[in-house]
Amino acid sequence: MTLICVGVSHKQAPIAVREQIAVQTDQVGERLRQLKALPGLQEALLVSTCNRIEIFAVAASRASGEDLLETLGPVAAPHAVCRFDEDALRHLFRVAASLDSMVVGEAQILGQVKEAAALAQEAGALGPELSKSLARATTAAKRVRTETEIARGAVSVSSIAVQLAHKLLGNLEGRSILLLGAGEMAQLAARELRSAGARELLVANRSSRNAEELAREAGGVPVSLAELPALLERADVAICSTGASQAVVTRDMMAKALKSRRYRPIFLVDLTVPRNVEPSANELENVYVYDLDDLERLAAQNRDLRAAQVEKAEEIVEQELSAFLAASRERTAVPVLARLRAHAERLARTEAEKTLAALHGLDEKQQKTVRAMANAIVNKLLHAPTARLRAEAGQGPLGDAASALFGLDAESQPAPATEPGAETPGSDEGAVLPLLRKL
Amino acid sequence: MATILVHIALVAYAAAAAAFLTWLVRPETRLARAGRVLLLIGVVVHFAAFGVSLGVAGAGLGVAAWKGGQLFSLLAAVTVAGYLVLDFRYELPVAGAFVAPFTVAVMVPAHLVESNARAIAPEVSHSIVLFVHVGAAALGTAALALAFGLAILYLASEKQMKSKRPGRLFARLPSLDLLDRAGYRLAVWGFVFLSLAIATGSLVSREATGLTFPIAPKQGFAVLAWALFASMIQARLVAGWRGRRVAMLVVAGFVLLIGTYAGLLTAAPALHGTAA
Repeated sequence: MTLICVGVSHKQAPIAVREQIAVQTDQVGERLRQLKALPGLQEALLVSTCNRIEIFAVAASRASGEDLLETLGPVAAPHAVCRFDEDALRHLFRVAASLDSMVVGEAQILGQVKEAAALAQEAGALGPELSKSLARATTAAKRVRTETEIARGAVSVSSIAVQLAHKLLGNLEGRSILLLGAGEMAQLAARELRSAGARELLVANRSSRNAEELAREAGGVPVSLAELPALLERADVAICSTGASQAVVTRDMMAKALKSRRYRPIFLVDLTVPRNVEPSANELENVYVYDLDDLERLAAQNRDLRAAQVEKAEEIVEQELSAFLAASRERTAVPVLARLRAHAERLARTEAEKTLAALHGLDEKQQKTVRAMANAIVNKLLHAPTARLRAEAGQGPLGDAASALFGLDAESQPAPATEPGAETPGSDEGAVLPLLRKL
Repeated sequence: MATILVHIALVAYAAAAAAFLTWLVRPETRLARAGRVLLLIGVVVHFAAFGVSLGVAGAGLGVAAWKGGQLFSLLAAVTVAGYLVLDFRYELPVAGAFVAPFTVAVMVPAHLVESNARAIAPEVSHSIVLFVHVGAAALGTAALALAFGLAILYLASEKQMKSKRPGRLFARLPSLDLLDRAGYRLAVWGFVFLSLAIATGSLVSREATGLTFPIAPKQGFAVLAWALFASMIQARLVAGWRGRRVAMLVVAGFVLLIGTYAGLLTAAPALHGTAA
């Protein structure tokens, strides 16, 4: 059984390629069913976002990698990367932890991975191996987010503006946002602020027709630029992005507005060059002016901060990966041990009963002694092999050797309980647990 | 018994201070959570110590136990309780990093003064007015200490926001709006209790010495602090002052209040006891 990851991300293929092979959410189920029908394929997960289209699959052999590659189509093939086992698992962990993202530390990817898992579950393509891997990848991702500062601080100008607005005003619910001008970045910031719960979005432009159009697009209210002094009394955040060649919001204008607004703080975001807000307005109490350079500088600082945290995040991913692999190997080793011990105990019990049947007239204590002797021989004989198999943890050749030497593969059923009258285990796990306690 | 409980509380406060200060360096949620839990344990044990102490003191509402040192101790307990309420409402672990060390700093002089036990003047030791005076002083000071902490945080955060150069702790500071609102509310509550403490204090003074307003550093600082807080509230209500100006007034008012407590240690023997 092998874990395979096949696909492309922003690192291997340009958007022109990715958009051709992208899978829409409503088509994921169907695609997973097709993948599941491939020979030897047992489990599948499809992560399709704007930055990656990747298939994680559990298959009988690595040969399935070729089949998976084919399903991506000829456009993706020259760019696609195929990873196996530990590499594939590491990639899954890194993707979930946002270490493979275009913007390292972005928060959306973990949600997208979880959504992909839910879709795979719905399509019946998610099995125990992928489920366990995904659970551990989620744990690793959460640790990365809480134990490092990789996700701290916004890295785009518009999100920096929104973050600063939160820092100044706290909850944006009930706040008033003023959008001056029609700059694209300003519109983006205004929309983000609106979606953060702002009560109203006032849109002012030199042309009233443009203002109406913009307001309609952004879900705001058109207002006239001539009302600017009154608007500055009302707004909590003003985003300026007009094409004016000189300051639209002056220090004097702001000083007057400040008294009328009873010193309520205002956040002025100036996203244009030449600047629309007189920089000296920042000297006024409770007035905070940020221009494009300020926002860019903060974005760059946050990007540097994130980059500095990558090493720590990678360490966490490696720790989680190692722990997960060790646990998997131990899981793999246990069935061999369980079968070996069950096999030996069954033989010992059969031989002991034969001997007891041949020796008539033994009392109960003597019969017990014979059975105990048989068990003791089993324990002593299996002590060294058990210790070695456990130490190997499914990584070495001893597990297969033990299966071949003792003919364990032929025994599909778990052994009955060792002691007469003990409960018979009904599953592999049931057989394994008591044995594990003994080992 | 009460002393042992106070020691346990002090250890819990110190551990909470360590947890919160570590949280400032390493922003792990469990550290802030540990700080809160330790403060909660500390304050419960601390109030239990007061319960035991009052039980021992017996009659007279236990005021015989209100030595100078114990007032500091009560102040610490009330401040922690106030912080826990504040944290429950606004989630302010960063304020915990201020409150926990402050509590330890207040508790240590409490022990020092207690070891130099002072007796309350017999004329007033059974007075209910004294009980109200001490309670109001503790509640008022605790509220103003918390307001002071939030004002310091506000000034630090505002400076970084204005200079556009956020420091390492900027991300962990709450919004300026929250610091301003919460700080103002606490200052108003602090002012109300301070007014009550001054009014009842003058009654206690009259009972003990016959003077309603004795001229002493303690009373002088208290009245100055009261006047400053009154002006701040008036400026906020009438002229809409907020933000930095208000924060600076709160800081100045609290510093004056500290002067009151410094005055307490050198207070007139008739009012606050003589060295044993």
